[in-house]
Amino acid sequence: MSRGQIDRRTFMKVSGGVLAAGIAPSLSAEASLSEQPPYSVKWYPFTGHPDSDTCWSLSVGPDGRIYAAACAEGVPGGVVKPVRYNEQRDDLDYLFNLAEKVDDPGDSGRASQCKIHYSFAPSMHDGVLYMATHLSGPPIDLPVYSPWYSWHDAKRCFRGSALLAYDTRADQVLWWDTLIPKEGCRCLLHDEERGLLYAMSYPRDHFIIYDLRTRSRRDIGRISSINPQALFLDKRHRVWTSSDYGHLVRYTPETDRLEISPGLLAHDLNYQTGWHSVFYDVAPSPDGECVYASTWCPNPRLMRIWPDQGEWPRVEDLGPATQPRDTSFPIDMYRDHCGGLAFAGDGKLYYVASRWRDPKYNPTPESRKQNEGVVWRLDPETLKRQEVALLEHPTGLAHYVSRGAVDHNGDLFFGHVGNRPSGIFKVSMPADRKRKNAHLPIRMWG
Amino acid sequence: MQTKSRFDPDSPEIKAYLDELAHQFVREGTMVAFPTCLPGMTTPITHDESRITALDINSKGHVYGGTSGRQAHVFGAAFHGLTGIVLDAGAVAGSTSTAAVCCGASRVIAFVNGPQGGRAMALPYLHLAEDWIQEWGLEPPVLDELGECVSGEAVVHAAGVLSGKTVVGVTTRHLFTVDVESGRITVVGEAPGQGHLATGRAAVFGQEDPTRLWRFDIASGKIHRAAIRLPDGEWTSPLRWTRDQNTGLLFTADAAGRLFSFDENQSFRFLGKAHLSPVGPMAVVPDGRLFGFCGTEMANLFCCDTVSGKVANLGVAASVLERRRYGYQFGDAVTGPSGEIVFGEEDNGGHLWLYFPRIAASAHS
Repeated sequence: MSRGQIDRRTFMKVSGGVLAAGIAPSLSAEASLSEQPPYSVKWYPFTGHPDSDTCWSLSVGPDGRIYAAACAEGVPGGVVKPVRYNEQRDDLDYLFNLAEKVDDPGDSGRASQCKIHYSFAPSMHDGVLYMATHLSGPPIDLPVYSPWYSWHDAKRCFRGSALLAYDTRADQVLWWDTLIPKEGCRCLLHDEERGLLYAMSYPRDHFIIYDLRTRSRRDIGRISSINPQALFLDKRHRVWTSSDYGHLVRYTPETDRLEISPGLLAHDLNYQTGWHSVFYDVAPSPDGECVYASTWCPNPRLMRIWPDQGEWPRVEDLGPATQPRDTSFPIDMYRDHCGGLAFAGDGKLYYVASRWRDPKYNPTPESRKQNEGVVWRLDPETLKRQEVALLEHPTGLAHYVSRGAVDHNGDLFFGHVGNRPSGIFKVSMPADRKRKNAHLPIRMWG
Repeated sequence: MQTKSRFDPDSPEIKAYLDELAHQFVREGTMVAFPTCLPGMTTPITHDESRITALDINSKGHVYGGTSGRQAHVFGAAFHGLTGIVLDAGAVAGSTSTAAVCCGASRVIAFVNGPQGGRAMALPYLHLAEDWIQEWGLEPPVLDELGECVSGEAVVHAAGVLSGKTVVGVTTRHLFTVDVESGRITVVGEAPGQGHLATGRAAVFGQEDPTRLWRFDIASGKIHRAAIRLPDGEWTSPLRWTRDQNTGLLFTADAAGRLFSFDENQSFRFLGKAHLSPVGPMAVVPDGRLFGFCGTEMANLFCCDTVSGKVANLGVAASVLERRRYGYQFGDAVTGPSGEIVFGEEDNGGHLWLYFPRIAASAHS
C-alpha cells in the first residue's frame, strides 16, 4: 500500500468524546509462543503478477480451496488477477486477468479494474465463486484516481464494479455483469437460499441487492459515509452491517428496509465516540448462532454478536485487539489493525492483529521487526486468547492481514497488504488441531 | 510488468490535476452537517424517513422543513445563540413526501403527499429559544391537518407570498391558495404544476410548458396562463428558483445548467452556466452571490457571481466539524440570518448542512 492509498482510506480520521457501549471484558491469559505447538508459516508472493501491491480478498471457495486477489491499485492501469493455492504444487495458480474477462482493459483510460475487495462469495450448489471488483486504481495516464472528482467524467470515471461468476469445477468464467455502475464493491455476500447477492457501494455507501435469477440490481439507498468492510447474514436471511457512527445496520427482506440500531458497537470509551467503528471483518461461529467481528478503527475491538437475541442483537465487547498506545496522537489503521478472522478445525477463532514497537507501550529490541503480524487463537468458551505464530516475510512487511480462511485440509491462509508483489501466508495447523473439511459450514461473505 | 505509466509526473498537466484533486471538497467556505436532532439528547429522524425535500425560514431566522421517505416528517431548527437543534415535530401519518414548507406570518404550512393525494398541515411556530434541555422544556408540538388541497391530486410545490398571510400552491393540474391564519384552502383554477414556484413582489410564477410561465397575480387572485416567455434554453426539467431578498431578483436554471436572473417587471438575463446539470437547490447570500448544487447522484456546489456571471465549481460537500459526512444530494435551500446558507440533504440519514461562504474580499483591500 502506498502512502497515498493509506491517506485516501484514512480520510476523515478523528476522535472525540465518549458515548455508551457494551461491556468490555479484557481478553485474558495470553500465552507465549514457546508454549504452543508449532504453526509453520510460509509466504507465497504473487510473483506471477509483479504489479500486485495488495491482497484484499482471500476466501475459501466452494471447492474447499483457497482463492485470493492479486490486486494492483497503486499502478496506473493496474488490474486484478484472481489466484488459487495449488496444494499439489504448493504454489499459486494465476486464474485470469479479470479486466480482460469483463472487457474493461487496464489501458481503457478509465479507473481500472484493479482489485477485489472482500468480495469473494461462494455458491455451494453449483461450485461457483462470485467475485466483484472495487475501484481506486488510476487510469493508465494518471497518477491517482478520485471517484469524487471524476464522478461526472465519462472518460475517467470507473465503469463500475464488475460481478463475475467463476465455475470452480470447470475452471471457467460463466458470465459477468456490471454490479454497481460508476462505483466499486467494498464487500459482497451471497444468500444462496434466496439467490441474492448483497453489496456495499463505494464511495456513496449504498446498499445493493443483486438478484441472480433475473441478473438485476436494486439500490436500497445510502447508509452513511465511511464504508463498512463486511456484511453478514443471519439465519432469518437478514443482512447486517454497520454505519459510520458505530451503529448496527440491518436489512430485513420482508420489510425491504435498512434500519439503524439504537446502540453502538464496541469502541474505546476513553476517547472514542463510535465514529468509524465500522466492521472490518466478521466471521461466523460454526454453529451459526453468533458472529465474531473486528472494527476498522484505531485500537480495533473484537466483538461477539448474537443476531437472534432480542429486538437488536446482543453485542459483547471482547476488548481491544491491539496494544495500548499514546491516544493523544493519531495512528493510522495500517499499523494498528486486526483482520483475518476465521474458525479452524479445532473450533477456535484465529485472527491476525498487528503489533509494533513503541517506546512506552511495547519497547521491543531492535532485533525484532518494527511491525509484527501476530496470529492469535481465541477460545470461544473461555474467551482466552493465545499467541500462536508470527507471520514472517523474507524481507518485507507481515502485519496487515485483510482476510483469513481455512481450506479443506484444515490449514489457515491469510491475505496480506503492503508488499510488492503482494501475496498470501499459509499457516500450517498442528496435526491435532486440523481436520478435513474444516471450512464447512462455509462463510458466505467476503 | 503488466502495465506502464503513460504520463510525465512532472508535467504541468499532472501537477494541475493533482492540485485539483487536493481541492475536490468544499473549495471555498465551510460546511457543517447538523443531524436532525438535539445532538446527544434526542435521536435523529429515522434513517429512511429523513430525506429533506423542503425548507423555509421565518423572520426570526428559524428554519422549518419537511422530509420524504417511508414517512414524511415536519421539523423546526435553529442554529444561533444557544440553540443548536433540529426538533422533529413528528411524522405525518399516511404521507411519504413533503412538497413544500412555507413560513407564514403566524405559523407554518406544510404540504405533504401520500397515497391519498396532497394535504396541507399547519404547525405553530416552535419556541426554538435556548438551552432546550434545562428545566423549562417544551411540550411536543401538534400538527393541525388542514385537509386535502385538490381532490386526488398531489401537491407539486407551494410558496408563501411576501405578506405572510397567504400561501400559493400548485398540484399537478390546479392552483390553490391557503389562508395562513384560518387554514382555509381555496382552489383558484387550472394551472399545471411542474417544478417549483417562484414568489415575486406582486405575483407567483410557475411553469406553463417548455417555453412559458404562468403568472398568479396576488392582488387580484387571477391566473394569467402562458403569460411570460422563457428565454432561449432547454426548459425541459422541473424548475428551481431562489430569490435575492435584497433586490427581489429571482434566479432559475434550465436543464443544461444555464443560470438566469428574472426581474418580474423586466425580463430574464443569462448569467452563466454551471459545470453540471441539472441545477438543484440554490440560495443567494446578502452580497448577491448565488450558491447552489448541480449534477445528479453526486452533486457539486457552485457559486455564481450574479454581476459578472462567472460560475465556479466548489466541489463535493463534506463536513469535518463535529459531524463528519459527505453530502451528495440536496433537496432545498434557504439563506440564514447571518448570510449562511442552510441546505437540506435529500438522502438517507439526511442532515441540515450549514454553509458559510468565504467572505468576499473588500473593494478597499
